[in-house]
Amino acid sequence: MEVFLQALVNGILLGGFYSLMGMGQNIIFGVMNIVNFCHGEMLMVGMYITYVLYTYFGVDPYVALPIVAVLMFGLGALIQSTLITPSLKTKSFTNLLFLTVGLGLLLTNGALVIFGSTYYKIITPYAQTYIPLGPVTIALPRLISFLILIVVAIALFAFLKYSTTGKQIRAVSQNPIGAEVVGINVKKIYILTYGLGVALAGIAGSLLTQFYTIYPTAGASFGFRALIVVVVGGLGSIPGAFFAGIFLGLLEQMSALFISPSYSDMIVFVTFIIILVVRQVMILRRR
Amino acid sequence: MAEKPIIEVQGLTKRFKGLTAVHDVSFSVEKGSITGMIGPNGAGKSTTFNMICGYYPPTEGKIFYNGEDITNKKAYEYTNMKIARTFQIMKPLKNLSVLDNVTAAAYFGHAGAKSEKEAKERAMEVLHFTGLYEKRHVISKDMGTPDQKRLEMARALATKPEVLFLDENMAGLNPAETEEAIQLIRKINESGVTILLIEHIMKAVVSLCEKVIVLHHGEKIAEGTPEQVMNDPYVMEVYLGTKKEGASA
Amino acid sequence: MDTRKAVKTYHRNLAIVLAVIVAIFAAIPLVVDKPYIINIFVLTFYMSTLSMAWNILGGITGQNSLGLAAYMGLGAYVCCLVVTKTGMNPWVAAVLDMLVVGVVAGVIFFPSLILRGPYFTLVSIAFAESIRQFIINSEFFGRASGVGLPFGKDSFAQFRFTSKVPYYYIGFIMMVGVYLIMKKIGRSKLGFALRTIREDEDAAAAIGINPTKYKVIAVVISAIIAGLVGFFYVSYIRYIDPDVMIQSKSTEIVLPAVVGGAAYIEGPLIGGLIMIPLSELLRANFAAVLPGINMLMYAVVLIVVIRFRPSGILGWYMNSKFKAFIDEKILKKPSLDVLEEYELMADKGGK
Repeated sequence: MEVFLQALVNGILLGGFYSLMGMGQNIIFGVMNIVNFCHGEMLMVGMYITYVLYTYFGVDPYVALPIVAVLMFGLGALIQSTLITPSLKTKSFTNLLFLTVGLGLLLTNGALVIFGSTYYKIITPYAQTYIPLGPVTIALPRLISFLILIVVAIALFAFLKYSTTGKQIRAVSQNPIGAEVVGINVKKIYILTYGLGVALAGIAGSLLTQFYTIYPTAGASFGFRALIVVVVGGLGSIPGAFFAGIFLGLLEQMSALFISPSYSDMIVFVTFIIILVVRQVMILRRR
Repeated sequence: MAEKPIIEVQGLTKRFKGLTAVHDVSFSVEKGSITGMIGPNGAGKSTTFNMICGYYPPTEGKIFYNGEDITNKKAYEYTNMKIARTFQIMKPLKNLSVLDNVTAAAYFGHAGAKSEKEAKERAMEVLHFTGLYEKRHVISKDMGTPDQKRLEMARALATKPEVLFLDENMAGLNPAETEEAIQLIRKINESGVTILLIEHIMKAVVSLCEKVIVLHHGEKIAEGTPEQVMNDPYVMEVYLGTKKEGASA
Repeated sequence: MDTRKAVKTYHRNLAIVLAVIVAIFAAIPLVVDKPYIINIFVLTFYMSTLSMAWNILGGITGQNSLGLAAYMGLGAYVCCLVVTKTGMNPWVAAVLDMLVVGVVAGVIFFPSLILRGPYFTLVSIAFAESIRQFIINSEFFGRASGVGLPFGKDSFAQFRFTSKVPYYYIGFIMMVGVYLIMKKIGRSKLGFALRTIREDEDAAAAIGINPTKYKVIAVVISAIIAGLVGFFYVSYIRYIDPDVMIQSKSTEIVLPAVVGGAAYIEGPLIGGLIMIPLSELLRANFAAVLPGINMLMYAVVLIVVIRFRPSGILGWYMNSKFKAFIDEKILKKPSLDVLEEYELMADKGGK
């Protein structure tokens, strides 16, 4: 029983990261209709920035978080304005897809070139602290990360729902032409959106450094999970991504527990495919 | 000529999650005729059209073609039945040339070409017929609206249809272009093709159609010759403005 | 007749240019004796073939899948296992593996064909990863260590050679052969159907094209060729393991097509002939010094091409003065009208 509860808790905590990645990916996909295939790599970049700040400047990862967020936002904005917006004009989905794929390659190998393939770790003094919560034990960093995640999710949701910019973002995601007609600067919103999405990935990476090794391809599996979360949670739905992420984390831990750790990946993928196909069939049926 | 109608629609209804777009619409299309469907925006014309062309299934009702029930046929089965359609929002095969657009169509349908040569030849024929021959090597996305509209028709004609559905083929054309389009449609009809068209341009409807069906709020409110329909008081009120204005025909 | 003569001259010139190119390729192994360079060519040949396999589904039909490496790997596994466990001749096993991969891909993809755009891509990635995970966990497939083909004496029947040169020639023939098949498809009814689906699925249905049917055909063709390359690969490397099927390998397959120009049958070929040797040369010259710098440069090239020349190298070439020059001066290509006239008169016995 305890094992089950522990897996449950781990699943939720892990799922939090998937939620974060999913929400970032969702914002980008929802507004610009492009799949950000380098989302996982952005997480990795966040990890490395945190590492550098910690190792060379002695900044605690949690303190570094806002710095990482801002830097990643800047990176995203730069990429969007120089590369993505011009390519959006071609209206070729293939092109945009492989542009972000290329970026992913660039970032992964950039990390490899700069940092090498050594695995890095950040060990803070409190990293090994465990908090017992009844039958389960939670590592302190994981708990803090999860709480931060909740805060970020709520802030994001509130931002999108209530702030003017947030409303503009939602307007553009529903109808870019209409939004332009009513005076919204669509290009600016695109930059904002991509920057925001990337920043969220960076935050996820930063939080992850406390209990994950840092290496150039560390973000790959998270990137793919982000896509799953987006699809399962529903396009453009931030709350959807939030819950889908948790669900995914749970699915993973539970299948690792009940079936086998090595098959858990496969189960996740197959479940994903089934959900996707079933949903499409239902949509078509309703027509 | 008063035989069984080539197209017959009975009790067509379409409900989308609480919104009834089309309700109990019935009419028939005589073989060899040009029939028009008109109505204010949102009247359900396109929805009806799309149901008849197999793009979505009706919630209720039946569609008959030469007496055969085609209600559940899928969209891609139509050219095999000698029925072709155009789209209101034009769908040129953007990156292909005009010739390729029409050649592609010539391969399919009940009279699909068996070889590249046959397909190309038929494409050329159709291009001559629709006046697009000179522009055959232009990449279709680079063409203007009137040409793209003609391309829609050319593609449809390449499948050698017996019945042609035209969805607002004249939207966005200036008067001269409209006149050309009218001539082309008449030419197509004279070559033996039955035509059902949705139109907003009254001039076209009046000069082309033998029978007009008027839809409003998803229901058929009038049917008859253009003159009859134009003078129907309810139609005038709903469509053309109050009885005081809107004198056309 | 003037038309005939003009077109025949053009055809003759074209044939000469192609013959020269083929002759150059045929001569290379005779003058170059560094196995390392021959290896780059072999790699180029089979990767370009794989890229063409992707392109029939991706660039031509517009369904971007990103998991082709898994099917190539599956083909390699099937071939390898059949040969080692039943002693079947590898060439025969190749046919079997192509069939298996074709069927697997067709069955797997069939329900997902209603998905469009990014959804389809995601599913293709998921499928590929699932296949790879399945193999890693399967005792029969050798888990993570993979399966090998037996070594032995040189034998054509067993498609086994110590020298790389025979693989060079066979690889070249494979690449050219697949190219010719693709070209034939491109000009056929199937090719038109696929391109129509790419441009507009609704218009395709209106014409009478059943999108699902043709997408399945494209998927299966793509998979069969991937299976073929799998056979070639395992016969060359004599070994297959799950690393061949990782996601980044699938991405590598697509890049030549995108860079070369995905809308063209020749796109992956040109892209492959340029990008793959480039990638290898970068790797050889830089990777030892600074791991990752080669892929970094490769990524930069990719991004630059997509950003500034989205229709790829061929897209640029088709509209360039360079092509006009070649057509006019070297090939003496007649105008489109003349070519058309010729095509339509050819079977009428001429005048």
